[in-house]
Amino acid sequence: MNEQVLSQQPPVREKRVARPSGNAGRILGRTVMWLFLLATAVLTLFPLVMTVSGSLKTGAEMMTGGSLLPSKLQFANYAEAWKQANFARYTWNSAFVSIMVTVGTLLVASMAAYVVDRRDFPGKSLYVTVQASMMFISVGAIVLRPQFDLMVALHLNTTLWGVILILVSAHSSTFFMLQGFFKAIPRELDEAAMVDGSGFIRTFFRIILPLLTPGLGVAGLFAFRHAWNEYILPLVFTMTNPQLQTLTVGLANLRYGSSAAMQIHLMMAGACLSILPMLLAYILANKTFIQVTAGSVKG
Amino acid sequence: MSFKWKRLGENSLFLIPSIILTVALGIYPLFWMLRYMFYDYAGYGDALFVGLDNFRRLMRDGLFWESVGNTFIFAGGKLLLTLPLSLLLAVMLNGRLRGGNLLRGIYFMPTVISTAVISVVFYNIFNSYNGMVNTVLMKLHLVSQPVDWLGPKHAMLTVILVAVWGAVGNYMLLFLAGLQSIPQDLYESAAIDGANAGRRFWNITLPMLAPVAQMVIMLAIIASLKGYESIMVITEGGPIGKTEVMYLYLYKLLFPVSTGSPVAQQLGYGSAVGFASAVIVGAITGLYFFLSRKMNKVY
Repeated sequence: MNEQVLSQQPPVREKRVARPSGNAGRILGRTVMWLFLLATAVLTLFPLVMTVSGSLKTGAEMMTGGSLLPSKLQFANYAEAWKQANFARYTWNSAFVSIMVTVGTLLVASMAAYVVDRRDFPGKSLYVTVQASMMFISVGAIVLRPQFDLMVALHLNTTLWGVILILVSAHSSTFFMLQGFFKAIPRELDEAAMVDGSGFIRTFFRIILPLLTPGLGVAGLFAFRHAWNEYILPLVFTMTNPQLQTLTVGLANLRYGSSAAMQIHLMMAGACLSILPMLLAYILANKTFIQVTAGSVKG
Repeated sequence: MSFKWKRLGENSLFLIPSIILTVALGIYPLFWMLRYMFYDYAGYGDALFVGLDNFRRLMRDGLFWESVGNTFIFAGGKLLLTLPLSLLLAVMLNGRLRGGNLLRGIYFMPTVISTAVISVVFYNIFNSYNGMVNTVLMKLHLVSQPVDWLGPKHAMLTVILVAVWGAVGNYMLLFLAGLQSIPQDLYESAAIDGANAGRRFWNITLPMLAPVAQMVIMLAIIASLKGYESIMVITEGGPIGKTEVMYLYLYKLLFPVSTGSPVAQQLGYGSAVGFASAVIVGAITGLYFFLSRKMNKVY
């Protein structure tokens, strides 16, 4: 990451005209600032370093506290967590849910955002108002019960599709994000395509969506992150069905296991397994992540 | 005429998935809650209409009001630490700084990691007898005895620190976006007039940042009032209810099985609690919005 991030850094220009008298104070100020920035960075990284180092310690080492770094690297922990603690299953479930939610959210939200951005229809402002208020109403876990009942009625409670549908239903922030991206695509483009005999649906999927790829990428990244990290919803839905647990649920449940105290090293290995994919995606897409989050309050 | 119908058909086709999902999994659950808060309903069997009984019980429910108090302590502590820290980091990183992009990347990293998973890690490193935090503090001779981070005295502080860890990077980025929209020539002319860094911060940065800060603070208030995922994993509201927050209390009424809570499932009363909690969050957000409306003006 260092290389990639550092290469984006703008060239440093030294154009300061330092007053001789203020030099000592300035150096002191700079030093204090750097100490503060570095201390914050160390504190931010501390739990992550602990996770990685803990995942490579033996169970006994973990129990006694001991040193920061493992005495001997125990890569076998990963194999054990993968097999014994069922992380293979959890990872598959997490990946399945996250990918389906990402695809579903992008499809549902982009279709709605396109129509809302390009056309007028009765009830348009009502639709937009409802979507906006969905982002602010927060009644906590209470909605999970009626959602669960609905999934039972549809016989989707024994699969992960229930979780997926519920996560896709919360697509309002993606909707608004994509609507912003659609505004940037000139209307003349789809009008021209339609004049050339391309139908509405064809125009959308063959001409407009491909142009939206960067926006879809960013929105997809956010949807994926949300689904991958979701905890309460899959927890409630998989209570009676451990085979469907996702990484977040399976890992947190290890804490309640009877032998959990002996398995801290496995928990750390599991935590690494569930953090690393997201972290890797973040490092690769660091620039996009930061720009878009930064842009989200600008308007 | 047929043209118009065709357009209407196309519009509906694109909107229907979004509308069905929003109505079935977003709006219907809200009305479900509004209905059952007037019923005595255990979640199975018959629901008995009891009028306002649930709300009378709510008024006398000491545990609920304790959890409301804890929510304020938690949210207040989190905001008091997060907002100044993230603003300070944003101001420091706003200039041209060697390695600034790398630091941004590091500070933002916690926001891509699952709260539940990292809370499992925090639970282990704050452990009193073999946790890394105590090991480090004792090696640095900052404490002589291991601190009981998850005990009644410090548990609230611990969950606040974990919440701050997870939130600082996010608000730093939002502040940074606001800072970058402040015209640079304001600073230059102030520097020519002889204003020092402190004066420039108070007289230019803060007032120019006010509209963005108003939105950011509102988002932070809502998020900290309704967050309970990390508390659920780290302390489950304990010890002796010291970290029980509003939405966690609600969760335990709805899904007692998963938390090992001795109370029976109470969906009717839970609906009333959920409604009251949402009203409290809404009222505080509204109050903040009213009090901060002056921030919206750019000087």
